[in-house]
Amino acid sequence: MSEKKNITDDHHHQHDHAHSHLPSDPELRVKAVETLLLNKGLIDSKTLDELIDTYENRIGPKNGAKVVAKAWVDPEYKKRLLNDATSAIRELSYQGRQGENMVVVENTPETHNVIVCTLCSCYPWPVLGIPPTWYKSDEYRSRTVREPRKVLLEFGLPLDPKVQIKVWDSTAEIRYLVLPMRPKGTENMNENELAELVTRNSMIGTGLPKEIK
Amino acid sequence: MSRLHDMGGRFGDGLIPLPRDAENEVTNFEPTFKYKWHAKAWAITLAAGALGEWNLDISRHYRECLPPKDYINFSYYEKWLAALTNLLIDKELISLNELKEYVFAAEKGTLRKFSDKDVKLDQRTWLAKDVQKTLGWGGPSIRDTNVSPVFNIGDKVITQNYSPNKDISGGHTRLPKYAMGRVGVIHSYNNNHVFPDKNAHGLGENPLPLYTVEFKSSELWGELAESQNDSILLDLWEPYLKLFPN
Repeated sequence: MSEKKNITDDHHHQHDHAHSHLPSDPELRVKAVETLLLNKGLIDSKTLDELIDTYENRIGPKNGAKVVAKAWVDPEYKKRLLNDATSAIRELSYQGRQGENMVVVENTPETHNVIVCTLCSCYPWPVLGIPPTWYKSDEYRSRTVREPRKVLLEFGLPLDPKVQIKVWDSTAEIRYLVLPMRPKGTENMNENELAELVTRNSMIGTGLPKEIK
Repeated sequence: MSRLHDMGGRFGDGLIPLPRDAENEVTNFEPTFKYKWHAKAWAITLAAGALGEWNLDISRHYRECLPPKDYINFSYYEKWLAALTNLLIDKELISLNELKEYVFAAEKGTLRKFSDKDVKLDQRTWLAKDVQKTLGWGGPSIRDTNVSPVFNIGDKVITQNYSPNKDISGGHTRLPKYAMGRVGVIHSYNNNHVFPDKNAHGLGENPLPLYTVEFKSSELWGELAESQNDSILLDLWEPYLKLFPN
Protein backbone atom coordinates (compact mmCIF):
# COMPACT_ATOMS: atom_id res chain seq x y z
CA MET A 1 0.00 0.00 0.00
CA SER A 2 1.02 3.56 -0.54
CA GLU A 3 1.23 6.05 2.29
CA LYS A 4 -2.39 6.92 1.76
CA LYS A 5 -4.32 6.35 4.92
CA ASN A 6 -6.26 3.17 4.55
CA ILE A 7 -8.85 3.25 7.24
CA THR A 8 -11.44 0.86 5.97
CA ASP A 9 -15.02 1.65 6.51
CA ASP A 10 -15.51 -1.22 8.88
CA HIS A 11 -18.05 -0.15 11.45
CA HIS A 12 -20.05 -3.17 10.46
CA HIS A 13 -17.16 -5.58 10.58
CA GLN A 14 -16.69 -5.29 14.30
CA HIS A 15 -19.78 -7.33 14.95
CA ASP A 16 -22.24 -9.23 12.85
CA HIS A 17 -24.98 -7.13 11.31
CA ALA A 18 -27.46 -6.34 14.04
CA HIS A 19 -30.23 -5.97 11.46
CA SER A 20 -29.85 -9.65 10.49
CA HIS A 21 -31.52 -10.55 13.80
CA LEU A 22 -34.75 -8.83 12.80
CA PRO A 23 -37.85 -10.88 11.88
CA SER A 24 -38.48 -11.56 8.20
CA ASP A 25 -41.88 -9.88 8.24
CA PRO A 26 -41.17 -6.14 7.93
CA GLU A 27 -44.27 -5.24 9.91
CA LEU A 28 -43.06 -7.29 12.89
CA ARG A 29 -39.58 -5.88 12.42
CA VAL A 30 -40.84 -2.31 12.82
CA LYS A 31 -43.06 -3.32 15.71
CA ALA A 32 -40.15 -4.88 17.61
CA VAL A 33 -37.84 -1.87 17.20
CA GLU A 34 -40.60 0.64 17.83
CA THR A 35 -41.76 -1.07 21.04
CA LEU A 36 -38.22 -1.38 22.33
CA LEU A 37 -37.55 2.33 21.77
CA LEU A 38 -40.89 3.32 23.30
CA ASN A 39 -40.33 1.19 26.40
CA LYS A 40 -36.85 2.64 26.83
CA GLY A 41 -38.32 6.15 26.62
CA LEU A 42 -36.13 7.01 23.63
CA ILE A 43 -39.09 7.88 21.43
CA ASP A 44 -42.59 9.08 22.26
CA SER A 45 -45.64 7.70 20.45
CA LYS A 46 -47.28 11.14 20.37
CA THR A 47 -44.25 12.43 18.45
CA LEU A 48 -44.60 9.63 15.90
CA ASP A 49 -48.30 10.45 15.46
CA GLU A 50 -47.54 14.15 15.05
CA LEU A 51 -44.85 13.45 12.43
CA ILE A 52 -47.02 11.10 10.40
CA ASP A 53 -50.03 13.41 10.58
CA THR A 54 -47.91 16.37 9.46
CA TYR A 55 -46.75 14.72 6.26
CA GLU A 56 -49.97 12.83 5.56
CA ASN A 57 -52.23 15.84 6.00
CA ARG A 58 -50.38 19.14 6.16
CA ILE A 59 -47.16 19.14 4.14
CA GLY A 60 -47.36 17.98 0.54
CA PRO A 61 -47.49 19.02 -3.13
CA LYS A 62 -50.30 21.50 -2.42
CA ASN A 63 -47.64 23.72 -0.88
CA GLY A 64 -45.49 23.61 -3.99
CA ALA A 65 -48.55 24.25 -6.16
CA LYS A 66 -49.20 27.50 -4.28
CA VAL A 67 -45.61 28.59 -4.88
CA VAL A 68 -45.93 27.87 -8.61
CA ALA A 69 -49.30 29.58 -8.96
CA LYS A 70 -48.00 32.68 -7.19
CA ALA A 71 -45.02 32.80 -9.53
CA TRP A 72 -47.40 32.57 -12.52
CA VAL A 73 -49.46 35.58 -11.46
CA ASP A 74 -46.83 37.74 -9.79
CA PRO A 75 -43.75 38.57 -11.89
CA GLU A 76 -41.95 40.17 -8.94
CA TYR A 77 -42.46 37.03 -6.86
CA LYS A 78 -41.23 34.89 -9.73
CA LYS A 79 -38.07 36.99 -9.91
CA ARG A 80 -37.45 36.51 -6.18
CA LEU A 81 -38.22 32.79 -6.48
CA LEU A 82 -35.69 32.23 -9.24
CA ASN A 83 -33.13 34.41 -7.51
CA ASP A 84 -33.43 33.09 -3.93
CA ALA A 85 -35.95 30.27 -3.75
CA THR A 86 -35.43 29.50 -0.06
CA SER A 87 -36.47 33.02 0.99
CA ALA A 88 -39.28 33.32 -1.55
CA ILE A 89 -40.75 29.99 -0.46
CA ARG A 90 -40.44 31.04 3.17
CA GLU A 91 -42.68 34.02 2.35
CA LEU A 92 -45.48 31.44 2.11
CA SER A 93 -44.34 29.90 5.44
CA TYR A 94 -42.91 26.77 3.83
CA GLN A 95 -39.48 26.04 5.23
CA GLY A 96 -37.30 23.68 7.20
CA ARG A 97 -36.37 20.05 7.04
CA GLN A 98 -35.15 18.96 3.60
CA GLY A 99 -35.87 22.40 2.18
CA GLU A 100 -33.11 24.38 3.85
CA ASN A 101 -31.49 25.30 0.52
CA MET A 102 -34.01 25.51 -2.28
CA VAL A 103 -33.38 26.21 -5.93
CA VAL A 104 -36.23 26.65 -8.42
CA VAL A 105 -35.52 25.85 -12.07
CA GLU A 106 -37.79 27.25 -14.74
CA ASN A 107 -39.16 25.34 -17.71
CA THR A 108 -39.23 27.33 -20.95
CA PRO A 109 -40.11 26.45 -24.54
CA GLU A 110 -36.40 25.66 -25.01
CA THR A 111 -35.54 23.88 -21.75
CA HIS A 112 -37.22 21.17 -19.70
CA ASN A 113 -35.93 20.39 -16.19
CA VAL A 114 -36.17 17.05 -14.38
CA ILE A 115 -35.17 16.27 -10.78
CA VAL A 116 -33.73 12.99 -9.51
CA CYS A 117 -31.51 11.78 -6.68
CA THR A 118 -29.37 8.88 -7.90
CA LEU A 119 -27.71 8.20 -4.54
CA CYS A 120 -30.78 8.08 -2.32
CA SER A 121 -34.09 9.95 -2.42
CA CYS A 122 -33.37 13.63 -1.74
CA TYR A 123 -36.56 15.64 -2.26
CA PRO A 124 -37.87 19.07 -1.17
CA TRP A 125 -40.11 18.06 1.73
CA PRO A 126 -41.57 21.50 2.70
CA VAL A 127 -43.04 22.00 -0.78
CA LEU A 128 -43.65 18.43 -2.01
CA GLY A 129 -43.85 16.29 1.14
CA ILE A 130 -42.55 12.72 1.20
CA PRO A 131 -41.40 11.40 -2.19
CA PRO A 132 -43.64 8.94 -4.07
CA THR A 133 -42.53 5.33 -4.45
CA TRP A 134 -41.43 5.73 -8.05
CA TYR A 135 -39.10 8.61 -7.15
CA LYS A 136 -37.35 6.32 -4.66
CA SER A 137 -37.25 3.35 -7.05
CA ASP A 138 -34.06 1.89 -8.50
CA GLU A 139 -35.58 2.28 -11.96
CA TYR A 140 -36.05 6.04 -11.69
CA ARG A 141 -32.71 6.58 -9.93
CA SER A 142 -30.64 4.56 -12.37
CA ARG A 143 -32.26 5.52 -15.66
CA THR A 144 -33.18 9.20 -15.41
CA VAL A 145 -29.62 10.51 -15.74
CA ARG A 146 -28.80 8.27 -18.71
CA GLU A 147 -32.06 8.20 -20.66
CA PRO A 148 -34.33 10.99 -19.43
CA ARG A 149 -36.30 11.05 -22.69
CA LYS A 150 -37.26 7.39 -22.44
CA VAL A 151 -38.16 7.87 -18.79
CA LEU A 152 -40.35 10.91 -19.52
CA LEU A 153 -42.10 8.97 -22.26
CA GLU A 154 -43.15 6.40 -19.65
CA PHE A 155 -44.72 9.26 -17.72
CA GLY A 156 -46.65 10.14 -20.87
CA LEU A 157 -44.47 13.13 -21.62
CA PRO A 158 -42.89 13.00 -25.09
CA LEU A 159 -40.43 15.85 -25.56
CA ASP A 160 -39.54 17.56 -28.80
CA PRO A 161 -35.95 16.63 -29.76
CA LYS A 162 -35.23 20.37 -30.05
CA VAL A 163 -36.02 20.95 -26.39
CA GLN A 164 -32.98 20.69 -24.15
CA ILE A 165 -33.34 18.49 -21.06
CA LYS A 166 -31.52 19.43 -17.91
CA VAL A 167 -31.43 16.67 -15.32
CA TRP A 168 -30.64 17.90 -11.81
CA ASP A 169 -29.19 15.06 -9.74
CA SER A 170 -29.76 16.41 -6.24
CA THR A 171 -27.18 14.38 -4.37
CA ALA A 172 -25.90 17.19 -2.13
CA GLU A 173 -27.68 19.71 0.13
CA ILE A 174 -29.67 21.65 -2.46
CA ARG A 175 -33.26 20.67 -3.09
CA TYR A 176 -34.89 21.49 -6.40
CA LEU A 177 -38.38 22.43 -7.51
CA VAL A 178 -39.38 22.78 -11.17
CA LEU A 179 -41.39 25.85 -12.16
CA PRO A 180 -43.52 24.47 -14.99
CA MET A 181 -44.85 26.65 -17.82
CA ARG A 182 -48.28 28.15 -17.26
CA PRO A 183 -50.82 26.31 -19.43
CA LYS A 184 -52.36 28.17 -22.35
CA GLY A 185 -55.85 29.57 -21.92
CA THR A 186 -55.51 30.25 -18.21
CA GLU A 187 -55.26 34.05 -18.48
CA ASN A 188 -58.50 34.61 -16.60
CA MET A 189 -57.81 32.21 -13.78
CA ASN A 190 -56.87 33.41 -10.31
CA GLU A 191 -54.07 32.10 -8.12
CA ASN A 192 -56.19 29.51 -6.29
CA GLU A 193 -57.66 28.16 -9.52
CA LEU A 194 -54.20 27.97 -11.05
CA ALA A 195 -52.81 26.09 -8.06
CA GLU A 196 -55.36 23.34 -8.76
CA LEU A 197 -53.70 22.76 -12.14
CA VAL A 198 -50.23 22.22 -10.68
CA THR A 199 -49.52 18.51 -10.25
CA ARG A 200 -46.78 17.01 -8.13
CA ASN A 201 -45.12 15.49 -11.19
CA SER A 202 -45.07 18.86 -12.96
CA MET A 203 -42.91 20.19 -10.11
CA ILE A 204 -40.46 17.25 -10.42
CA GLY A 205 -40.37 17.59 -14.20
CA THR A 206 -41.98 14.23 -14.95
CA GLY A 207 -45.30 15.79 -15.88
CA LEU A 208 -47.01 18.97 -16.99
CA PRO A 209 -49.71 21.01 -15.26
CA LYS A 210 -53.27 19.95 -16.02
CA GLU A 211 -54.73 21.39 -19.21
CA ILE A 212 -57.97 23.28 -18.95
CA LYS A 213 -60.85 21.72 -20.78
CA MET B 1 -15.12 2.09 -6.93
CA SER B 2 -18.45 2.54 -5.37
CA ARG B 3 -21.36 0.90 -3.59
CA LEU B 4 -24.71 -0.38 -4.78
CA HIS B 5 -26.64 2.72 -3.81
CA ASP B 6 -24.64 4.64 -6.41
CA MET B 7 -26.79 3.44 -9.31
CA GLY B 8 -27.02 6.43 -11.66
CA GLY B 9 -26.70 5.23 -15.27
CA ARG B 10 -26.74 1.53 -14.42
CA PHE B 11 -28.20 -0.88 -16.99
CA GLY B 12 -30.83 -3.51 -16.33
CA ASP B 13 -33.59 -1.64 -14.55
CA GLY B 14 -37.03 -1.91 -16.09
CA LEU B 15 -40.02 0.38 -16.33
CA ILE B 16 -40.58 3.08 -13.70
CA PRO B 17 -43.10 1.63 -11.17
CA LEU B 18 -45.80 4.25 -11.64
CA PRO B 19 -49.10 4.18 -9.80
CA ARG B 20 -51.96 3.33 -12.16
CA ASP B 21 -55.70 3.63 -11.93
CA ALA B 22 -58.29 0.93 -12.66
CA GLU B 23 -57.90 1.59 -16.41
CA ASN B 24 -54.13 1.15 -16.08
CA GLU B 25 -53.56 4.83 -16.79
CA VAL B 26 -50.73 6.56 -14.96
CA THR B 27 -52.08 8.64 -12.08
CA ASN B 28 -50.52 11.37 -10.01
CA PHE B 29 -51.99 10.07 -6.81
CA GLU B 30 -50.29 7.81 -4.33
CA PRO B 31 -50.80 7.74 -0.55
CA THR B 32 -47.99 9.34 1.46
CA PHE B 33 -47.31 6.00 3.13
CA LYS B 34 -48.57 2.85 1.45
CA TYR B 35 -48.57 0.80 4.65
CA LYS B 36 -48.75 1.76 8.29
CA TRP B 37 -45.34 0.15 8.87
CA HIS B 38 -43.79 2.41 6.23
CA ALA B 39 -45.00 5.42 8.19
CA LYS B 40 -43.72 3.90 11.42
CA ALA B 41 -40.28 2.99 10.03
CA TRP B 42 -39.95 6.53 8.69
CA ALA B 43 -41.17 8.20 11.89
CA ILE B 44 -39.05 6.17 14.31
CA THR B 45 -36.00 6.92 12.15
CA LEU B 46 -36.67 10.66 12.41
CA ALA B 47 -37.46 10.45 16.12
CA ALA B 48 -34.36 8.36 16.91
CA GLY B 49 -32.24 10.75 14.83
CA ALA B 50 -33.47 13.60 17.01
CA LEU B 51 -31.70 12.01 20.00
CA GLY B 52 -28.58 13.63 18.56
CA GLU B 53 -26.35 10.56 18.59
CA TRP B 54 -25.66 10.78 14.86
CA ASN B 55 -26.00 13.25 12.01
CA LEU B 56 -27.88 12.86 8.73
CA ASP B 57 -24.71 11.98 6.81
CA ILE B 58 -23.96 9.14 9.20
CA SER B 59 -27.46 7.73 8.83
CA ARG B 60 -27.26 7.98 5.03
CA HIS B 61 -23.96 6.15 5.11
CA TYR B 62 -25.38 3.39 7.29
CA ARG B 63 -28.01 2.73 4.61
CA GLU B 64 -25.32 2.64 1.97
CA CYS B 65 -23.29 0.20 4.06
CA LEU B 66 -25.95 -2.49 4.17
CA PRO B 67 -24.53 -5.68 2.66
CA PRO B 68 -25.14 -5.67 -1.13
CA LYS B 69 -27.52 -8.63 -0.96
CA ASP B 70 -29.68 -6.85 1.61
CA TYR B 71 -29.49 -3.50 -0.18
CA ILE B 72 -30.84 -5.13 -3.33
CA ASN B 73 -33.53 -7.20 -1.65
CA PHE B 74 -34.84 -4.73 0.89
CA SER B 75 -37.61 -2.33 -0.02
CA TYR B 76 -37.04 1.34 0.71
CA TYR B 77 -38.27 1.45 4.30
CA GLU B 78 -36.71 -1.93 5.09
CA LYS B 79 -33.37 -0.27 4.29
CA TRP B 80 -34.21 2.56 6.64
CA LEU B 81 -35.13 0.18 9.42
CA ALA B 82 -32.08 -2.04 9.00
CA ALA B 83 -29.73 0.95 9.02
CA LEU B 84 -31.51 2.39 12.04
CA THR B 85 -31.17 -0.89 13.92
CA ASN B 86 -27.43 -1.03 13.22
CA LEU B 87 -27.05 2.58 14.35
CA LEU B 88 -29.00 2.00 17.56
CA ILE B 89 -26.68 -0.89 18.44
CA ASP B 90 -23.45 0.84 17.40
CA LYS B 91 -24.34 3.98 19.35
CA GLU B 92 -25.35 1.78 22.31
CA LEU B 93 -28.87 3.13 22.58
CA ILE B 94 -30.06 -0.47 22.60
CA SER B 95 -28.18 -3.72 23.18
CA LEU B 96 -28.17 -6.76 20.95
CA ASN B 97 -29.71 -8.78 23.77
CA GLU B 98 -32.57 -6.32 24.13
CA LEU B 99 -33.13 -6.43 20.39
CA LYS B 100 -33.19 -10.24 20.37
CA GLU B 101 -35.61 -10.26 23.29
CA TYR B 102 -38.03 -7.90 21.50
CA VAL B 103 -37.71 -9.74 18.20
CA PHE B 104 -38.45 -13.02 19.97
CA ALA B 105 -41.52 -11.49 21.63
CA ALA B 106 -42.69 -9.96 18.34
CA GLU B 107 -42.51 -13.33 16.64
CA LYS B 108 -44.28 -15.05 19.54
CA GLY B 109 -46.96 -12.38 19.58
CA THR B 110 -46.12 -11.44 23.18
CA LEU B 111 -44.70 -7.99 22.53
CA ARG B 112 -45.88 -5.65 25.25
CA LYS B 113 -45.77 -1.88 25.21
CA PHE B 114 -45.45 -0.42 28.71
CA SER B 115 -48.11 2.03 29.78
CA ASP B 116 -47.01 5.66 29.62
CA LYS B 117 -46.72 5.99 33.39
CA ASP B 118 -44.23 3.13 33.48
CA VAL B 119 -41.92 4.77 30.96
CA LYS B 120 -39.42 7.41 31.93
CA LEU B 121 -38.67 9.52 28.89
CA ASP B 122 -35.00 10.08 28.17
CA GLN B 123 -33.90 13.72 28.46
CA ARG B 124 -33.02 13.75 24.77
CA THR B 125 -36.35 12.35 23.59
CA TRP B 126 -38.13 14.43 20.95
CA LEU B 127 -41.48 15.59 22.30
CA ALA B 128 -44.61 16.06 20.20
CA LYS B 129 -44.87 19.71 21.25
CA ASP B 130 -41.48 20.40 19.66
CA VAL B 131 -42.09 18.62 16.36
CA GLN B 132 -43.27 21.60 14.27
CA LYS B 133 -40.56 23.86 15.62
CA THR B 134 -37.80 21.34 14.88
CA LEU B 135 -39.14 20.54 11.41
CA GLY B 136 -39.40 24.23 10.58
CA TRP B 137 -35.86 24.71 11.66
CA GLY B 138 -34.52 21.80 9.63
CA GLY B 139 -30.83 21.00 9.60
CA PRO B 140 -29.08 23.77 7.69
CA SER B 141 -25.74 22.63 6.27
CA ILE B 142 -24.43 26.06 5.28
CA ARG B 143 -21.63 27.28 7.55
CA ASP B 144 -20.30 30.77 7.86
CA THR B 145 -16.61 30.28 7.19
CA ASN B 146 -13.89 32.38 5.63
CA VAL B 147 -13.18 29.72 2.99
CA SER B 148 -13.28 31.35 -0.46
CA PRO B 149 -14.22 29.33 -3.53
CA VAL B 150 -11.30 28.44 -5.77
CA PHE B 151 -13.32 28.10 -8.97
CA ASN B 152 -15.23 30.70 -10.93
CA ILE B 153 -18.46 30.33 -12.82
CA GLY B 154 -17.62 29.08 -16.31
CA ASP B 155 -14.42 27.30 -15.26
CA LYS B 156 -13.87 23.93 -16.86
CA VAL B 157 -13.25 21.29 -14.21
CA ILE B 158 -12.55 17.56 -14.10
CA THR B 159 -13.91 15.38 -11.32
CA GLN B 160 -11.90 13.00 -9.17
CA ASN B 161 -11.56 9.50 -10.41
CA TYR B 162 -11.85 6.24 -8.44
CA SER B 163 -12.31 6.94 -4.77
CA PRO B 164 -13.24 10.51 -3.89
CA ASN B 165 -13.21 10.00 -0.10
CA LYS B 166 -9.60 10.64 0.81
CA ASP B 167 -9.88 9.66 4.47
CA ILE B 168 -11.78 6.40 4.41
CA SER B 169 -11.62 3.62 1.84
CA GLY B 170 -15.17 2.97 0.73
CA GLY B 171 -16.25 5.99 2.73
CA HIS B 172 -19.24 8.20 2.11
CA THR B 173 -19.13 10.56 -0.84
CA ARG B 174 -21.58 12.56 -2.95
CA LEU B 175 -19.68 12.28 -6.20
CA PRO B 176 -21.60 9.61 -8.13
CA LYS B 177 -19.59 7.03 -10.00
CA TYR B 178 -21.09 7.96 -13.37
CA ALA B 179 -19.59 11.44 -13.07
CA MET B 180 -16.11 10.44 -11.89
CA GLY B 181 -13.22 11.57 -14.08
CA ARG B 182 -15.52 13.66 -16.28
CA VAL B 183 -15.22 17.22 -17.51
CA GLY B 184 -17.88 19.78 -16.70
CA VAL B 185 -18.36 23.51 -16.29
CA ILE B 186 -19.00 25.41 -13.06
CA HIS B 187 -22.60 26.59 -13.29
CA SER B 188 -22.87 28.24 -9.87
CA TYR B 189 -21.30 28.51 -6.44
CA ASN B 190 -23.69 27.77 -3.59
CA ASN B 191 -21.94 28.76 -0.39
CA ASN B 192 -19.94 26.59 1.97
CA HIS B 193 -21.62 23.46 3.26
CA VAL B 194 -20.72 20.76 5.77
CA PHE B 195 -18.58 18.22 3.89
CA PRO B 196 -20.37 14.85 4.06
CA ASP B 197 -17.24 12.84 3.21
CA LYS B 198 -15.92 13.76 6.65
CA ASN B 199 -19.13 14.38 8.56
CA ALA B 200 -20.48 10.89 7.76
CA HIS B 201 -17.52 9.44 9.64
CA GLY B 202 -17.53 11.71 12.65
CA LEU B 203 -14.44 13.54 11.36
CA GLY B 204 -15.92 17.01 11.80
CA GLU B 205 -17.99 19.30 9.62
CA ASN B 206 -15.15 20.80 7.59
CA PRO B 207 -17.43 23.13 5.56
CA LEU B 208 -16.26 23.63 1.97
CA PRO B 209 -17.47 25.35 -1.19
CA LEU B 210 -20.32 23.59 -2.98
CA TYR B 211 -20.75 24.13 -6.71
CA THR B 212 -23.32 23.11 -9.26
CA VAL B 213 -21.43 21.61 -12.18
CA GLU B 214 -22.98 21.07 -15.60
CA PHE B 215 -21.97 18.03 -17.67
CA LYS B 216 -22.91 17.47 -21.27
CA SER B 217 -24.89 14.28 -21.64
CA SER B 218 -22.38 13.13 -24.27
CA GLU B 219 -19.49 13.65 -21.82
CA LEU B 220 -21.12 11.20 -19.44
CA TRP B 221 -22.64 8.67 -21.84
CA GLY B 222 -20.70 9.07 -25.07
CA GLU B 223 -22.56 7.70 -28.07
CA LEU B 224 -25.36 6.45 -25.82
CA ALA B 225 -26.42 10.01 -25.02
CA GLU B 226 -30.01 10.57 -26.12
CA SER B 227 -29.29 14.08 -27.33
CA GLN B 228 -26.19 16.23 -27.78
CA ASN B 229 -28.09 19.13 -26.22
CA ASP B 230 -29.03 17.54 -22.94
CA SER B 231 -27.08 18.02 -19.76
CA ILE B 232 -26.85 16.72 -16.21
CA LEU B 233 -26.19 19.05 -13.30
CA LEU B 234 -24.63 17.88 -10.07
CA ASP B 235 -23.88 19.64 -6.79
CA LEU B 236 -20.26 18.88 -5.99
CA TRP B 237 -17.89 19.92 -3.22
CA GLU B 238 -14.59 21.54 -4.09
CA PRO B 239 -12.34 18.56 -3.25
CA TYR B 240 -14.10 16.51 -5.96
CA LEU B 241 -12.90 18.96 -8.61
CA LYS B 242 -9.72 20.04 -10.36
CA LEU B 243 -9.27 22.76 -12.91
CA PHE B 244 -9.24 21.19 -16.37
CA PRO B 245 -6.44 22.64 -18.51
CA ASN B 246 -7.90 24.29 -21.60
